[in-house]
Amino acid sequence: MSQSTPDTNIDVASVVEDVNLRRIGHYTLIIFFLGFFLLPLVTGIMTALKTNEAIARTVPFMPPLGGGFTLANLEYAFSQLSHAFINSLLMAIPATIINVLLASMAAFGLTMVKWRGQLVILILFLIGIFVPYQAVLVPLARFWNNTFPLADMLSPLFAGIPLLQSYHADLVPLIITHVAYGIPICMILFRSYYQSLPNSLVEAAKIDGASITKIYRRIILPISKPMFGVVFIYQFTQIYNEFLFSFTLVSSASSPEAPVTLIIPAIGTSTSGIDFGIRMSAAFLAALPTIILYVAFAEQFAKGLETESG
Amino acid sequence: MARLALDDVTKEYRDGEMSVVAVEDVSLDVADGEFLVLVGPSGCGKSTTLRMIAGLETITDGEITLDDRSINDVPAQERDIAMVFQSYALYPHKTVRGNMSFGLEESTELSDSDIAETVEETAGMMGIEDLLNRKPGELSGGQQQRVALGRAIVRDPDLFLMDEPLSNLDAKLRAEMRTELQHLQEQLGVTSVYVTHDQTEAMTMGDQIAVLNEGTLQQTGTPLECYHQPNNLFVAGFIGEPSMNFFDGSLEENALVTESLAYSLSPDLRRDIEAGTDLVLGIRPEDVRIDEPRTDGQRFAAEVIVVEPMGNENVIHLRFDDAMAGDEFIVTTEGVPTVSAGDRVDVEFSEAVVHLFDGDSGVAIKNRTLSFSGTPDEVIP
Repeated sequence: MSQSTPDTNIDVASVVEDVNLRRIGHYTLIIFFLGFFLLPLVTGIMTALKTNEAIARTVPFMPPLGGGFTLANLEYAFSQLSHAFINSLLMAIPATIINVLLASMAAFGLTMVKWRGQLVILILFLIGIFVPYQAVLVPLARFWNNTFPLADMLSPLFAGIPLLQSYHADLVPLIITHVAYGIPICMILFRSYYQSLPNSLVEAAKIDGASITKIYRRIILPISKPMFGVVFIYQFTQIYNEFLFSFTLVSSASSPEAPVTLIIPAIGTSTSGIDFGIRMSAAFLAALPTIILYVAFAEQFAKGLETESG
Repeated sequence: MARLALDDVTKEYRDGEMSVVAVEDVSLDVADGEFLVLVGPSGCGKSTTLRMIAGLETITDGEITLDDRSINDVPAQERDIAMVFQSYALYPHKTVRGNMSFGLEESTELSDSDIAETVEETAGMMGIEDLLNRKPGELSGGQQQRVALGRAIVRDPDLFLMDEPLSNLDAKLRAEMRTELQHLQEQLGVTSVYVTHDQTEAMTMGDQIAVLNEGTLQQTGTPLECYHQPNNLFVAGFIGEPSMNFFDGSLEENALVTESLAYSLSPDLRRDIEAGTDLVLGIRPEDVRIDEPRTDGQRFAAEVIVVEPMGNENVIHLRFDDAMAGDEFIVTTEGVPTVSAGDRVDVEFSEAVVHLFDGDSGVAIKNRTLSFSGTPDEVIP
């Protein structure tokens, strides 16, 4: 409608009017959604930077002015969370790396290598996606606490490793749980990528004399770089933000091994009410790692795509 | 250097109750240093055959031997075979150098410096030494094709397999590469199997060609053998461009009677054929004489439908008077076209050049008589 073709005579004025109306519509919509998505964020950050007094007196999303500005909330939240950050990263980073690597290997084995019975295995993976968290919580807790108390076994070992404390061993069951739970969906993501790769690459490598493991390591792994970026961001965010497993497997929010998500709900609340400045500061800080990761990996992702198609 | 033999090789794809036979009882023999072209329409099983030789497909039945050693159970990795893929299958993340050295790194014990040297040498031979540090994505189709060839050659394999390697190139480059490939193969003397659907490639490149259709081998022989002495209707129609003209009919008294013509057969010819047998008369477009002084052949009146001058030859579409519309036949003549659309002409079919096929089985009953200058034995073994 708005596209003019050279061979038709269109009244210029009507075209201009049409375009303008459409544009106004577009921009209004964009501004609306910008506000819709950004306002809560802005409000959160502004609240984090305000004194309690300023929070009570000013409009939530307005920036703090003059005496209303403070960094005390952020400092306090950080001091409360710093320990938990280490726990969270100590859990999420290894879990994500193991998860993504295993998922990629599984996807390779299930898409690019032919063997008997792989359909059954693939179906098992697919079923794995649909097992609800809630259904496994109790058996999971019993397994890690009574049947196979891995954390207790490892804690003396962890005490001996520099920079680690014995309580960090409690994160290992959590890591394994996350890996197990994350593999199916990550496997599917990799699988769809591997299915789009030409099979002749694997065949060419086979004829070149490479074994299946070599084909994975030297051909498929390097080619999957962009997909690793995507899956890594996705899975890291999942694991870092996860609450239920941490809640079930870590004894309490005050335990030394508690990850960020376990502490956040408790922070800034007291008998005297809720301290919004501290809560918002904590929430903002808690979200930072995922944001940083996203920004860092997005670039790597783009680069990966560039070499891929370039 | 190796001799490749396929003995009653069969490939059957089974999916529950369903079973599809892709290749059936194919037997081939490729002598050391020989260039064999597997040719056939798409879906005829030629690629499957090649992939079985490469070890990328399992064999349902039969045996493949390389230098009299069965390779049925040898994995692709250990066959010492190099293959050029239709899509080239270059590793996108590796440079040309990386692509070429990968096979040497994986399949030989050569030191890094030896590998580098071999790669440089081969790249020089292929004229791609300037491209060694580039990635496949930065190369043109023709360059990628060269790299794919180089990657196969650098391995110095026992056997060289090519799966329609030229089909992604434009016509001019394809013709160039055709010559170059042939030259290269001669130079290297590596036993090669080449798959193509393009009968021109088959004719020009192969020492031997094997024509496949619907999974079964129709004929093996030199290109000229397949051209002049086809085993059956399929080979006759497939080899040659434009393809042979066919007229379906049956033997009545002493002539082959079709819808539009009655072609009398000499007593010699019809002796072994029962009356009433369905027959197909075949004649190559270049063997039909148009409006030329009469020789020993039989003449029929026809109308010129279209004339396509190609410069070196003219492709003339003709129709017999009482033939149905669309039932045309093709004649090629050399030089300047002497007829034009709408002309009525006399065409002459000489008995020496016509082929006769059994209408039911398609088996050749009579092929053209050869009259080459020089001894026919040199051309047709």
